[in-house]
Amino acid sequence: MTVAINSIGYFCSLVPVEIIMAAGLKPVRVKGRAETTAAADAYMYPNMCPYVKSLFADGLDGGKAACDGVVFTRSCDGMRRLYDAWKAYIPSGFVYMLEAPKNCDDLAVDYFSSQLRSFAQQLGKKSGVEVKAGNLVEAVKAQNRVRRMMQELYVMQSKSPLPVKGSELFKLGLEILSGEGRDSAGTLKSVIDKVKKQAAAGQSRRKPRVLVSGNVMDRPGLFDIIEGAGAEVPFADLCTASRYFERTVDENAHDIYGALATAYLGEPRCSRAATPAEIYARLSKKVKEYAIDGVLLTSLKYCDQVLNDMPYLVRNFTAAGTPVLFVENDYLFSDSGRLRTRVEAFIEMLEK
Amino acid sequence: MLKKYYEEMKSGLEAAYQQKPRAWTMMNIQLASTFIEAFHEDAKVVWTSFYSFPMELLAAFDVVPFDFEIFTNLLPMFDADKAVEIMNVAEEAGYSTDICSFHRLAVGCSMLGYTPKADLMLTSSYYCDGKSKANQSLAEHYGKESIMLDVPNEISKDSVDYVAGQLRRIAGKLTEVTGRAFDLDRLRECIRISNRARRAYGQLAGLQKVTPYPYIGVPVVNMSIFANMLAGKEIQEQIYLDMVKESKEKIMKGKLVPEKYRVAWLAWFPPQPTNITQIFRENGVTIVMGELARNYWGELDEDLPFESLALWSLKNPYVGPIEQRLKGINEIVDEYKLDGVVHFSTDACRHSCAAQKLIGDALKERDVPYLVLDGDMSDKRKYSPDRTQLLLENFIGVMAGRKS
Repeated sequence: MTVAINSIGYFCSLVPVEIIMAAGLKPVRVKGRAETTAAADAYMYPNMCPYVKSLFADGLDGGKAACDGVVFTRSCDGMRRLYDAWKAYIPSGFVYMLEAPKNCDDLAVDYFSSQLRSFAQQLGKKSGVEVKAGNLVEAVKAQNRVRRMMQELYVMQSKSPLPVKGSELFKLGLEILSGEGRDSAGTLKSVIDKVKKQAAAGQSRRKPRVLVSGNVMDRPGLFDIIEGAGAEVPFADLCTASRYFERTVDENAHDIYGALATAYLGEPRCSRAATPAEIYARLSKKVKEYAIDGVLLTSLKYCDQVLNDMPYLVRNFTAAGTPVLFVENDYLFSDSGRLRTRVEAFIEMLEK
Repeated sequence: MLKKYYEEMKSGLEAAYQQKPRAWTMMNIQLASTFIEAFHEDAKVVWTSFYSFPMELLAAFDVVPFDFEIFTNLLPMFDADKAVEIMNVAEEAGYSTDICSFHRLAVGCSMLGYTPKADLMLTSSYYCDGKSKANQSLAEHYGKESIMLDVPNEISKDSVDYVAGQLRRIAGKLTEVTGRAFDLDRLRECIRISNRARRAYGQLAGLQKVTPYPYIGVPVVNMSIFANMLAGKEIQEQIYLDMVKESKEKIMKGKLVPEKYRVAWLAWFPPQPTNITQIFRENGVTIVMGELARNYWGELDEDLPFESLALWSLKNPYVGPIEQRLKGINEIVDEYKLDGVVHFSTDACRHSCAAQKLIGDALKERDVPYLVLDGDMSDKRKYSPDRTQLLLENFIGVMAGRKS
């Protein structure tokens, strides 16, 4: 895997990339290695999050060690332990644990603001570029622009047939997060323009519309399976999709750190901080907005946070008459055959 | 159903205490009594985490604390098959078998109506992701708000203020629930009591360094999990002082258990019936210390009660980077003349088990034999006596080789 120089890797949507940008560095959402997590198995016990293992395997192999540094957050127990193992076994220039509260009230915002200030100071020392309020506001504006454009596309996706294939939009988001795209705003603008110019599509057979919700997903395998089975994905509630792009920071705030803290701790929140009822309320709203026919919930194996929410979500969607399917995944989607069978059966049911 | 078990447990323990008053028996009487009290109609019951919440705050409001993990997970000790049956209820409702058995059992018990009502549901962000999420699920089940004491991974003035601020708000919630105004003097009194208990516990921990070891081993680990239930109450100090007295008597009289090997036990001891104690007894292995059984927190400052309780939370070995946990383990190695260290690796305990390699490497540097003993706390389907025997006997062989 090639990594840009002067980049800082991060693993969770709770890291305000604006601070990394304001320090003159490039934020890179780190993906795990694609092939196997075998190298990590000697270091991590078997029932560990496959995403964590994948990241660690990649780090051991020199992948992200090529970064100028990495920043962790207290996302979950697995990520805390990854931070410990990373420090111990992977040579890296800058390894930082950013404390992100699990609550989102004023106490949490104040504390997170103080943590963000410390992070900015440390990062500035590392990069040699002091993080000044002005730079930070500029970075916030730039990110807000990208996020607003993605949000505009999300709104367009409520139409049927979909203006942009769900898998394509997801891949575009991944490209932006990975820092691979040179001009994210430019790319998004051209997609939006293209959609706007599209003539009203002729009446085609309406495809079943599936909402996907889960934790981290770095490859479009599941989207491909859903689309291959004849359905479409208008909306994806994932760490690497809407939960990153559906938040904007108040760029006019008197205290920019406070604004960042408020935005990043606020909605949309994942299972780490939100209750199952809060998540259900958010997803139910999307089901209506996007005329969803079925909800596909997915979780990384061994993710205690998401796994504990699933019974509540499944029970409530079922009670509301919304067809729902829950599938676990191993991050690499190595069991795609079994997954395909289940997804196809689900979509077949939606078509009836 | 579970209430009945605890009533029987309590009456049996009280009879035993009448015949032979032992501090450990009294500790268990207190545990059973607390759980039974939680079913009283008039009781103000606060669901919480005995081992990770600063209980002095609850003691100041005289509420009945209730820990769903401990309450439901002593069931396998009484009836391991019944526990599996109840876990099945949770699993059929969609709770994955990859979720910790402690939480599957708790959810199953709640679904079947075996748990008491909750007036307030508190949890902490550490110990663990699973528990705080299970608390949310159970809060939904009971139609209550789930309140989380969020404890960061670092110790600084900011983090102390953050946690202390949350504790102040929780005091406000307790006022709402109990109808009693918060009494700062009462909290200070609870902190004074807790400090006295801490000092008594310090004496006990000191006596535990004697070779052979004066006190039976497993309670040391278990006590570190549920004795904090009594923090802020006079009885906690009394129990520790009685344990000190009993230990001194044993040392004086030379009535000590045969001891060939001294080990520290990391993480938790399974409540379900296992062959671990039998194997240890047969081979002269004594558990002399658990990592949470150390007196790792400092004296609480009654003039800064909320900040002190915040610091107590932040100093827990399972909070913070791994260095905080390793520091405690190294202190045990230094102070307790160990022959080995056993890490019980329960199937779904990510936050503890994911550090196995780091702990192993730290102990290797110190040339201390180390065993990762995999199993499960409460789910007999995931516990193999044969494998346990194989692993423990091999480990004992390693310790024997070192000794010879």
